[in-house]
Amino acid sequence: MHKTVLITGVSRGLGLACARRLLEGGWRVCGVSRSESAEWSALARAHAGMTEWRSWDLERTERIEAGVQEFLPLTRPVHALVNNAAVAYDDLATNVSLARLEAMLAVNVVAPMMITRAVIRNMLCHEVRGSIIHISSVSVRSGARGLAMYAASKGAMEAFSRGIAQEWGPRGIRSNCVVPGYMETEMTAGLTADQRTRIRRQAALRRETDVESVAATVGFLLGDESSAITGQEIVVDAGLS
Amino acid sequence: MSADDRLRELANRVRKHKGVGEFDRFVPGTRLREDLGFDSLDLAEFTVRIEQRCGVDVFAAGVVHTWGEVVARVEQHDRSTARGA
Repeated sequence: MHKTVLITGVSRGLGLACARRLLEGGWRVCGVSRSESAEWSALARAHAGMTEWRSWDLERTERIEAGVQEFLPLTRPVHALVNNAAVAYDDLATNVSLARLEAMLAVNVVAPMMITRAVIRNMLCHEVRGSIIHISSVSVRSGARGLAMYAASKGAMEAFSRGIAQEWGPRGIRSNCVVPGYMETEMTAGLTADQRTRIRRQAALRRETDVESVAATVGFLLGDESSAITGQEIVVDAGLS
Repeated sequence: MSADDRLRELANRVRKHKGVGEFDRFVPGTRLREDLGFDSLDLAEFTVRIEQRCGVDVFAAGVVHTWGEVVARVEQHDRSTARGA
């Protein structure tokens, strides 16, 4: 039987790379994102019958419960969750806009918590010893000018993940964070050439973090080989931190 | 099958999952924690099993403590569903 994983932010970047790797590993991928990218459509075609997709706007947190009930009702077992979708909010703390801050917290914190709630309920229903991954950020540890709010949202998810690990460990449900360094994705597209050079110089491996390495770590943490790992933050940052 | 019978089946599935024997002395005053031996995780499991089978989250309208309260909420849901059908 193919196991089912729910991935948020599946249309591009790390979410897409995770979907590709998990499909190759025999997982059935249920993906959500705001819009359906050409890359996701091509991947879905290449793995016909093994993917499903829904358009979810994670800022609309009041719709998540109904969205999960429609996409993954309790009658259908879910074995894993990758809380990947996130938005960056790059600004000085003195310039914080309440509306932008609340929108970011909705997508980066409230939505993944509500999705986790639904997935754990599903796992309990089917006695699934599942695995949950939250994608964090190296900025939680290093701190960075302009990323205080974003890093705080990721730090919240790291604390949430540790709590989930303790709370649901007795039922065999695991929760871990994968902490990527700076990857070449849409989220970091706004970095200047100077900033990229500085990041490369600071990293032990003298390069940015490759998306595939992060996706492989996600795949490992979802699989049975990592069955004793829970409540951890696994840093994949080319030696940046 | 009555709400009471469906719920007995589900409660005993939770007990079986936690490795304890079947419970057969259900009365309205049966306490979920003290008499059925459910801890908070068991109650969460019981809740989602009820939701899957009966279509209602019995804790959504507030905490329930006794067997009678759980049965009442499921019966109330059954009646409102029947009226809407």
